[in-house]
Amino acid sequence: MSTTHVQTTTHGVRRWAGLAVSLGVLVAVWWLVAAADLVEPGYLTPTPKEVWDAFVRANTYHPIGGGVDRVVRGEEHYFLWEHLLVSLRRIGLGLLLGAAVGVPLGLVMGTVRWVGDLVGPYVDFLRSLPPLAYIGFLVAWFGIYDTSKVWLLVLAAFPPITLATINGVRGVREDQLNAARSLGASGLQLTTQVVLPAALPDILSGLRVAVGFAWTTVVAAELVNGLPGIGGLAYLSGTQNKIALSVACILVIGLTAIALDAVIRTIERLVVPWRGKA
Amino acid sequence: MSKGINVAGLAHQFRARGGAVPALDRIDLEIEPGELVTLAGPSGCGKTTLLRMIAGFVAPSQGSIVVGGTPVRGPGPDRGVVFQQPTLYPWLDVRRNVALGPRLRGIGKAERLGIADRYLALVGLADAADRRPYELSGGMQQRAQIARVLAGDPEVVLMDEPYGALDALTRERLQNELLTLWRETGKTILFITHSVDEAVFLGSRVLVMSPRPGRIVLDEQVPFSSDASLAPDEVRALPAFAETTARVRVAIAH
Ligand SMILES: Nc1ncnc2c1ncn2[C@@H]1O[C@H](COP(=O)(O)OP(=O)(O)OP(=O)(O)O)[C@@H](O)[C@H]1O
Ligand SMILES: [Mg+2]
Repeated sequence: MSTTHVQTTTHGVRRWAGLAVSLGVLVAVWWLVAAADLVEPGYLTPTPKEVWDAFVRANTYHPIGGGVDRVVRGEEHYFLWEHLLVSLRRIGLGLLLGAAVGVPLGLVMGTVRWVGDLVGPYVDFLRSLPPLAYIGFLVAWFGIYDTSKVWLLVLAAFPPITLATINGVRGVREDQLNAARSLGASGLQLTTQVVLPAALPDILSGLRVAVGFAWTTVVAAELVNGLPGIGGLAYLSGTQNKIALSVACILVIGLTAIALDAVIRTIERLVVPWRGKA
Repeated sequence: MSKGINVAGLAHQFRARGGAVPALDRIDLEIEPGELVTLAGPSGCGKTTLLRMIAGFVAPSQGSIVVGGTPVRGPGPDRGVVFQQPTLYPWLDVRRNVALGPRLRGIGKAERLGIADRYLALVGLADAADRRPYELSGGMQQRAQIARVLAGDPEVVLMDEPYGALDALTRERLQNELLTLWRETGKTILFITHSVDEAVFLGSRVLVMSPRPGRIVLDEQVPFSSDASLAPDEVRALPAFAETTARVRVAIAH
């Protein structure tokens, strides 16, 4: 027990040390390339310092510059973290609704054979569509504001959650169901007390996949009227040749996605501690 | 209150690649309410299949099964099942696993956890109540499973080689406990075992099945387990015990 603990710790330390070194090298190379001005015009290759400055500017009140004596709030009237929060809210809402649709649907599809056979192809169809294919359609239906974006995220998020739930339901051991039936479980009790918890590990995996989908999709969705929104800001700043700001947005998106995944993995560890053990 | 089991003309074939595999062949069996019937037989002869049919998990190809006057159409809380492989729920701790039966019946939290603790103490698992099943050894899981079935208070208990994975000492303790429990509650018990000694020691009646397709080739009343005045060692020392054991052995070997 104690030896494995020690091993895990040294392994962890080594991993973080490795990551720190590789990150240092990466930033150094980036700096060299940017400073060497290999690419013309120079603003196309901002240095790490310039990106950092753009990041700080985007999170503070700052003079507009260019000789004009005016102070503005962040970028496009919002601080960068507010842009991020708006995107996260869209993702959260989309995932929540996606799970609210996907989990019950998956439970029914996995339990009642004919429903699965009937609805399955449509879920597969939806899943194989790139969400961007139907964003125009959604904008036409729900307008260019948040509603269409959230709908897009729901449609992107629920198929992987549904499929994972079905997978989980079909994977429940026959005797786990039999045991509960022999203890007097009704059909509904069987679903809530056995099928749902047994499928939970798969449902959470599906959620992780859905979060990935939602990130890709939200950034794309914000190409149209996406402000405030971190994806919208990344796109707009790029088109306005504010490359340093655009890079800052990209970094923020990537780091947040990684952090979100880590959060879900932690939740997994807490909620399904039996994963892989039973 | 306990229920009798009535099996008539039972036969079963499993559909498999390359045709039907006969597993059971014309089983007729009458188990009186309150009997403790042990069932022995070579591996693969269909013992589990018979038990699963009485439990209502599998419908027989031919024949009928009646428990307590009602034809078996599916599983029900009147027939508790101790599975050959423990099937506890990893998302519940051991205490809540055992409390599941009462919970499904709508019994309040304090009361059902009390019931669970009582049966956990009975199988010697009071210390493990707060752990998850996967943190238990195989034998402990099996004992927890037995506690869960007993907490469900079924009229009929179907046990599929429940003590196969236990060490000799625990096994003997649980055998004695099963006998005490059976004498106190008068439940009908069908107990499958590989061990001839266990079959003869526990059963008030011993059945032996032939190799596949399974038929009942020996059906014998055994007096020992009903007699609470004899200690386990005294029972095993009786000449009649050795004679019965020998007959059962012969029946299994044929
Ligand atoms: N689901 C199934 N499909 C096909 N054949 C099966 C199935 N279940 C059991 N069998 C076959 O039926 C026969 C009886 O199996 P069963 O599990 O009842 O034996 P058993 O007497 O309980 O054996 P053991 O003592 O090893 O547990 C075996 O030959 C087995 O291969
Ligand atoms: Mg068996």
